[in-house]
Amino acid sequence: MPLLELDSVTKRFGGLLAVSNVSFNLDSGEILSMIGPNGAGKTTAFNCVTGLFAISSGAIRFDGSSIAGLAPHRITKLGIARTFQNIRLFAYMTAVDNVMVGAHWWMKERVWDGAFRTARARREEKSVEQRALELLELLGLSRYAGSYAREMPYGLQRRLEIARALATQPRLLLLDEPAAGLNTQEKRELMQLIGVLRSEGLTILLIEHDMRLVMEVSDRIVVLDHGEKIAEGSPVDVRQNPRVIEAYLGTGATEVITSA
Amino acid sequence: MVKPTKRALSFASIAALGVLAACGTSSTTTSSSAGATGIAGCKGTITVATDLPLTGGDVTDGPYVQMAAELAVTQAQQAKLLGGCTLKYISKNDSTVLANGHSPAQGAANITALASDATVMGVVGPFNSSVALAEIPVASMDHLALISPSNTNPCLTVVVAVCSDPSIKIDTASLYPGPHTYFRVIASDVQQGEIDAYVVSSVLNAKTVYVIDDQQAYGRGLALLFTKYYTADGGKVVGDASLPSTTTTYTTQISLAQTEGAKAIFFGGTSGDGCGLVRRDMGAGGLNIPIMGGDGCQDTKFISDANSGAVKNEAEGSYATSAPDVTKLSSSATFYSDYAAAYSSVAAPYNNATNEPYTPYGYDAMNILLQAIHSVLVSNGGQPPSSSMTFRDDVVAALHTTNYSGATGQQSFDANGDTTNTGFTLYKVESGAWVGINTYAVDTSGNVSVKTS
Amino acid sequence: MTIQSGTPEAPLAPLGDTSSGVGSPMLVDQRSLAPRRDQSNELVRSVGPVVRVAYGWISKHFAAVLLGMILVAIIATFKQGGLDLMGQQLRNALVLGAIYALVAIGYTMVYGIIELINFAHGDVFAAAGFYAVFIASTFHLDSLATGSFGGLILALIIVFPLSMLGAGITGVVIEFVAYRRLRDSPRLAPLITAIGVSFLIEGIMLVIEGPDNVATNQADWITGTAFTIGGVSVAWTDIFVVGMALFLMFALGEFVRRTRLGKAMRSTAQDRTAALLCGININRTISATFFIGSALAAAAAVIYSINYGDLKWNLGFHLGIIAFTAAVLGGIGNIVGAGVGGFIIGLIYVFGGSIFGGEWSESLIFAVLVLILTFRPVGLFGVEVTTRA
Repeated sequence: MPLLELDSVTKRFGGLLAVSNVSFNLDSGEILSMIGPNGAGKTTAFNCVTGLFAISSGAIRFDGSSIAGLAPHRITKLGIARTFQNIRLFAYMTAVDNVMVGAHWWMKERVWDGAFRTARARREEKSVEQRALELLELLGLSRYAGSYAREMPYGLQRRLEIARALATQPRLLLLDEPAAGLNTQEKRELMQLIGVLRSEGLTILLIEHDMRLVMEVSDRIVVLDHGEKIAEGSPVDVRQNPRVIEAYLGTGATEVITSA
Repeated sequence: MVKPTKRALSFASIAALGVLAACGTSSTTTSSSAGATGIAGCKGTITVATDLPLTGGDVTDGPYVQMAAELAVTQAQQAKLLGGCTLKYISKNDSTVLANGHSPAQGAANITALASDATVMGVVGPFNSSVALAEIPVASMDHLALISPSNTNPCLTVVVAVCSDPSIKIDTASLYPGPHTYFRVIASDVQQGEIDAYVVSSVLNAKTVYVIDDQQAYGRGLALLFTKYYTADGGKVVGDASLPSTTTTYTTQISLAQTEGAKAIFFGGTSGDGCGLVRRDMGAGGLNIPIMGGDGCQDTKFISDANSGAVKNEAEGSYATSAPDVTKLSSSATFYSDYAAAYSSVAAPYNNATNEPYTPYGYDAMNILLQAIHSVLVSNGGQPPSSSMTFRDDVVAALHTTNYSGATGQQSFDANGDTTNTGFTLYKVESGAWVGINTYAVDTSGNVSVKTS
Repeated sequence: MTIQSGTPEAPLAPLGDTSSGVGSPMLVDQRSLAPRRDQSNELVRSVGPVVRVAYGWISKHFAAVLLGMILVAIIATFKQGGLDLMGQQLRNALVLGAIYALVAIGYTMVYGIIELINFAHGDVFAAAGFYAVFIASTFHLDSLATGSFGGLILALIIVFPLSMLGAGITGVVIEFVAYRRLRDSPRLAPLITAIGVSFLIEGIMLVIEGPDNVATNQADWITGTAFTIGGVSVAWTDIFVVGMALFLMFALGEFVRRTRLGKAMRSTAQDRTAALLCGININRTISATFFIGSALAAAAAVIYSINYGDLKWNLGFHLGIIAFTAAVLGGIGNIVGAGVGGFIIGLIYVFGGSIFGGEWSESLIFAVLVLILTFRPVGLFGVEVTTRA
């Protein structure tokens, strides 16, 4: 059974079809990339999966059960986490606090525990903080644990966002252009990181423009254009799909993709 | 706590109870002998009105005066004072919810509405000097007689030095675009200021004082007049502050007064604007000196406000001057018993006219107005003058020649419309209530003395 | 595995500007009252370089300029009345400031989390005062509190949580009924609703409690002088007011900084969508924010009632506006800023009134408000807003 199923998902904004009748599956442990030109509907599809947008028609199933219409925080609890194209960290919180927010939903502390600083609350806060520090270490951010997110270098902010998403204990991680704005070195580190996450058994849905990265890490690729799925397959298949080359990259771009 | 809306209803129900008029058997008017023969054939409707603050912060004062004036009308209706003419009564409220009490704008609107009614021949009111400032020009333009039971601001009628103070700035002449139609049955703050200054410096023996006022025409004016006469008496004002009615705490001023060594605090203003709260904060600050105020402080609200703080009997020993205590005058006895009889079914405290010293002044003001209307009818062959404007002019002319012996004593007006019946009583809080001590009068050369009769 | 930390060179602008301002761990929203474009600077540019430099300097050192002026006022008071007057006025300022601070925190929390100036907050404060009176009379707390010290403590333990609970529920209901549906509307809509709710609460209080001051009978719960230094006597109530306010502010700070809900509130204030996708129930978090803000207003109301002994139906409107100014002064959205702002406003009110006369107290406060909005719209503790193209 696939972990995530999109079944004829359509999202309409007024007269505009942002996502039109898109279907694809994502198996457990798989890395699937969504590519397509700007405005192809990739991020809209993400927003539909995470519940920020209600879909106009179709169905989205996670682990076999429908998640369409659920509130975003409930979908997060089911095990879907994401990052954002334009980083959305809590700028005026420290890195470790940012990660601890990710742990919010599974913490057991109730309001009164926190208000009266019960032993249980303090113990849990301690252990969650420990877990957050581990995640920061995993992502090489230990040095910045006490820094405000806004004061961190851009590349590390991208990584902190991943750490925060991981803190929600996801089974499916949605990464929205994680390589945007990163330099070559940082991109290399990102690829390593994705490899590590895959080896931990995490399923990843990726939106990315950097073809080299996409071709390298993806098991499969879905290509969107004008809201429609125009191709799906292994990197090799997609790379050679003439429709993709024409419709998505335009004529004369063949070399770019094949040389990547 | 009295709920204003409910009370307003009870007034209406009283007005509807015509039977109450039967209580007014004893005639307090001087006209009982005038007879109704000449005016029995009088035709038409003649309306008198009151414009008073009935709700909000003024709920402890206005309603008494309104009820007293209404009593006078009811008695006149009963006695057929205006012969065959129908005597109608309208009560206007110049309080608004927004102002939480008297509103000059509302007052002016009320007078405009009344003046546009050709049957209205005179209005008893307003209660507050700030409202009078807005109403007098309207009444003057429309030749409508306005008789205030309680306005004490001197600048309403005569020009004195304080009128040009930047914080008061009353141009008395411009208040009267038409004829001088304004009268009052109470002495002005010139006399009150003189008496207050005399009391503080000579009776309380305080030679240094801290002055606070409430930024209103009445309060500020009284504070300035007090200061003028107090310094003339040799006293020293060690500090002053002018604070809005929204002030919730006066601790800053209490500290200043303490530091400057004030031996008394004088408050120019009303208890709705903080008089009692000043006393409350004196208690909290441990400042054990007397507080003295004008008639605006002399009410039950002052006592409850002053006692709401840490010191439960803080109000004890506070002083205020107010309308002469006429409760002991023989002339007022009939009024008080009539009032008590007419309003026996009204909830306390409004069933007792002695709670508010201006109550008999409202009664007398309305009676003076009715007498004037009566005399115009008599001299006009028992009929109202054909033009309502002429009628109003005649009423004003008749008011100028008033010589009326009422509940508050002998009332007549000088050329400015001011009463010749001067005098203020000094009250003190004793055992939780205001008790009249002495009544003081000022002679023409400014000497204050205890009025014995 | 190891991942090398990346190069510190940021290829794009980092989130927020790091140029100046104090980063606070509290609720801070970078989109504060500051104009989107720096219009004041544009205006100044046309006037000339001298003015521009002066503007820039004052803007940068606003806190120092303001505190300097307050210091001058304190010294002037010392010159005027010696140590006694200065000490008394400091005491008065702290007592007043403590109450403003507690009310200001409610404004700032709500603004921080949903960018709404909750005009009804001041009225929740006044209503909470009446709740406390009701609670005290229901449980006969007045005689209990005045009977013995233990009784007083017991009375406080009863009246504080219950009135805070009542006010908290009031705040939550207001948010649920009046603001929640308008959360994504243009900002003017909930603002107008807030004014409407304010009038509604005032109207209800006017009908129930009447137009006059209502004596609460709580002024004699705590009596007596704690100590006297020179000519300055400090009453137990003064210590109670300031101590309680500081304690509550400290407790709130710890709560927001450390606990799970506190982190949820901060993250929701800073990026609602991101918080949502971290699994935070936004509606519940916003309700909690209203609850806590209103509960603090209730604590302020109980303190007010014990200190002054009376309440009035429209008390919250006036006090609320001054407290709101305190919140703006501290940088709206910033809890620490609101607390400090409250005390600063108390100082301005009392020392301004002491020197220039009480009639100037409020004028001074609102003059300071104008100065803040002109020179430092983000407030003393706020953070400069990035003026991105």
